Amino acid sequence: MKRKLFYLGLFCTVIFLPAQSLLADDQCISCHTNTVGDKQSELFKHDIHFKKGISCADCHGGNSKLEDMDAAMNPKEGFIGVPKGDNISKTCAHCHADPEKMKKYGSSLPTNQWESLQSSVHGKLSTTGKEHITQCVTCHDSHGIVSVKNSASPVFPLNVVKTCTKCHANASFMQTYNPAMPVDQLDKYRTSVHGVRNRNGDPKPAQCASCHGSHDIRGIKDVKSSVYATNIPTTCSKCHSNAEYMKQYKIPTDQYEKFARSEHGKALLQKHDVGAPACNDCHGNHGATPPGVESVSKVCGTCHALNADLFSSSPHKKAFDERKLPECETCHSNHEIVAATDKLLGVGSEAVCSRCHQTNQNVKGYAVAKTMRSLIDSLEFMEQNAEMLVNESEQRGMEISEAKFKLRDVRQARLQSRTMVHSFNEQKFHDVVGKGMTAASIVQGEAQASIDEYYFRRKGLGVATLIITIFTISLYLYIRRLERKQNKKVI
Amino acid sequence: MKPYLKKIYDWVDERVELQDLVNFMAKKYVPVHRHSIWYYFGGVSLFLFVIQVITGILLLMYYKGSEELAFESIQFIMSKVAFGWLIRSIHSWTANLFIFTTLVHMFSVFFERAYRKPREITWLSGMMMFFLLLGFGFTGYLLPWNELAFFATKVGTEITGAVPVIGKPILEFMRGGDNVTGATLSRLFGFHVAVLPGIFTILLGTHLILVQRQGMSEPHEFKNKPHAEQKTMPFFPNFILRDLTLWLIVLNLLAILAVFFPWELGKKADPFASAPAGIKPEWYFLFMFQSLKYIPAKVFVIDGEVLGILLFGAAGLLWMLVPFWDYKSSRGEQSRFVTYIGLFVVMYIILFTILGWLA
Repeated sequence: MKRKLFYLGLFCTVIFLPAQSLLADDQCISCHTNTVGDKQSELFKHDIHFKKGISCADCHGGNSKLEDMDAAMNPKEGFIGVPKGDNISKTCAHCHADPEKMKKYGSSLPTNQWESLQSSVHGKLSTTGKEHITQCVTCHDSHGIVSVKNSASPVFPLNVVKTCTKCHANASFMQTYNPAMPVDQLDKYRTSVHGVRNRNGDPKPAQCASCHGSHDIRGIKDVKSSVYATNIPTTCSKCHSNAEYMKQYKIPTDQYEKFARSEHGKALLQKHDVGAPACNDCHGNHGATPPGVESVSKVCGTCHALNADLFSSSPHKKAFDERKLPECETCHSNHEIVAATDKLLGVGSEAVCSRCHQTNQNVKGYAVAKTMRSLIDSLEFMEQNAEMLVNESEQRGMEISEAKFKLRDVRQARLQSRTMVHSFNEQKFHDVVGKGMTAASIVQGEAQASIDEYYFRRKGLGVATLIITIFTISLYLYIRRLERKQNKKVI
Repeated sequence: MKPYLKKIYDWVDERVELQDLVNFMAKKYVPVHRHSIWYYFGGVSLFLFVIQVITGILLLMYYKGSEELAFESIQFIMSKVAFGWLIRSIHSWTANLFIFTTLVHMFSVFFERAYRKPREITWLSGMMMFFLLLGFGFTGYLLPWNELAFFATKVGTEITGAVPVIGKPILEFMRGGDNVTGATLSRLFGFHVAVLPGIFTILLGTHLILVQRQGMSEPHEFKNKPHAEQKTMPFFPNFILRDLTLWLIVLNLLAILAVFFPWELGKKADPFASAPAGIKPEWYFLFMFQSLKYIPAKVFVIDGEVLGILLFGAAGLLWMLVPFWDYKSSRGEQSRFVTYIGLFVVMYIILFTILGWLA
């Protein structure tokens, strides 16, 4: 026991001795605490910098050893008072951007924060035009700074939201920089799974800095931003693909892999089509939450509006609701959405209809699915045939642009028919496919006529050449005969 | 002559004295020598001109010379009008063959010194027709209002605009403004179907009357031969029938070209699109276009392009005035210097056309 007390005493001496000794030597602290009694000096005693032996004079200048206030706070001693504007961050960067100095204090913090802040969206000039929008103290406070891992820190995960919303929930302040930017992020965040857990004291779920970064925050339209459309899946997957990190939440961690394989993922990640949906387009961003069974079609319907409308008025709507089946997801999956080819339709092994419609189960739907597939296959065959004939005609150098243009109507009808599938109404589907088939027949006819014309031209040329050749030979023979006669006359 | 034909002939003869013309043609003889072949290129050029007039009139029945409808009307001609494809392809191929045969005709006249006294006016009218022919090519090229034609006209008119003093007004006159627009199309269409054919017909009439009046030019060596060795053939019917044979062959060649290589229409011109890569003028302008590329941007104080245009202009003028400075030929003497100039010009055109083609 005595030994334990000895080690405890030794530990306390080692930890607090520098601060106590500094307190005794630092005339700034001594005077501001005992004589002035201001808040800053009181807060600074709990500041991590104070504990590391950094004095007031290291930021404010002056000579902390001198007892005489006028002498200690004399500009000749380097006293600068309270730093203003960018000088605040420069004062911090004096040490925090210097790896040697940081190493001296035993810090493993990165030393590029100031550089990152300057290139970030917060590094733009403020409305005064004299300083950056944000200084270090805007988020970290000035006196009483504690480690980021300390729950009292304004940048501790549970406090970040409050720190960011000091400005970002302030409509009049945000209006001066970006009037189009919403200021309801906090409200939305509190409705999200992340926000609810954060409020309940769980520091692991995403808060502002988890997705947007800290010092290097960039605008959402900046391709380098972690929340730029093509970067969002990677940003979300930092946590959601980390099985160890997500273990306690008992949700799958393969969403990213599935998404990357999906049509949406290929469009976004491979083709860099920023119009393709990222995680936030279905789950929301600040109010991120999994869409419920009821709302799946509404979420998908934000882009696939026609499909969603047709489904809502189809007989499947009621059937799905009764069985509590998520609407779009049941046939198309969620993260791993594959290309909606015609194979999904019908009663074959790859068709999704046959999951519920069999020869002995839901028979009417089975027949409709079979007919629909047959119709769409016929249309596709006719389109291919028409396209082949148009290509053949074009390759033969024929002017076929009008038929080629009409071919678009066939393609359009086929695309419309794929949408019309969601009505699950055979008559409506037949009408759309019928239009496509009529257009395909016209194109086929025109293309075939053009090919026939091609051969007609060649035959015509053959006949014309024959006639011209006969004429030419006849003329040649006539000239020979004529000249022979003329020569005889001369002789 | 059969009785009913004789009746018709007599009826016409009584009114227009046709017999005088027949007598004139029957007396007309064409020299026969080792270079006689070149005589036929004039006739072929005339035949191609007739084809151009006929096919041009037929195209006019459907062509619409406006920015909105020009391309579509050609498309309609090519796909909907009976034999429209044939007429348009023949018109386009003939235009090119016409320039080619005229070039051959011009060089054959040059090397044979057929321009020498008393045929200076024939040469001048021929040269003017040749320049008009290039004008026909340039103005007709824009009429389909396709991408290639649009940008080629843009480049072509820009080159004209580089000529000092008169260049800019000419450019604005040709374009109908600062840029190539529908106004340019209307103007060039007007020139192609009215102004140029009108002038061309007058020149052609003069040219043909002079040829008939003065007869075919004879080479120096032909004149020096003994009279017994000076072979000739009657212009009518021998030469005319030979001409006709060649015309039939050319007609067949045109039909083959039109069927196997129908003239493409390309994409409709879009003034807001960027120019397609590697845009080039038609082959008969290619040697000049390629030459301008090799001239440095600045030669002393003169702009390289301006210098090139001035040089070509001066060379063209000298070429046209050859009957007036080639005294030796006019005196009936051999002039090797002129032959060397001609050879140099031919080789230059061939070489720079090939370079332009490969570039």
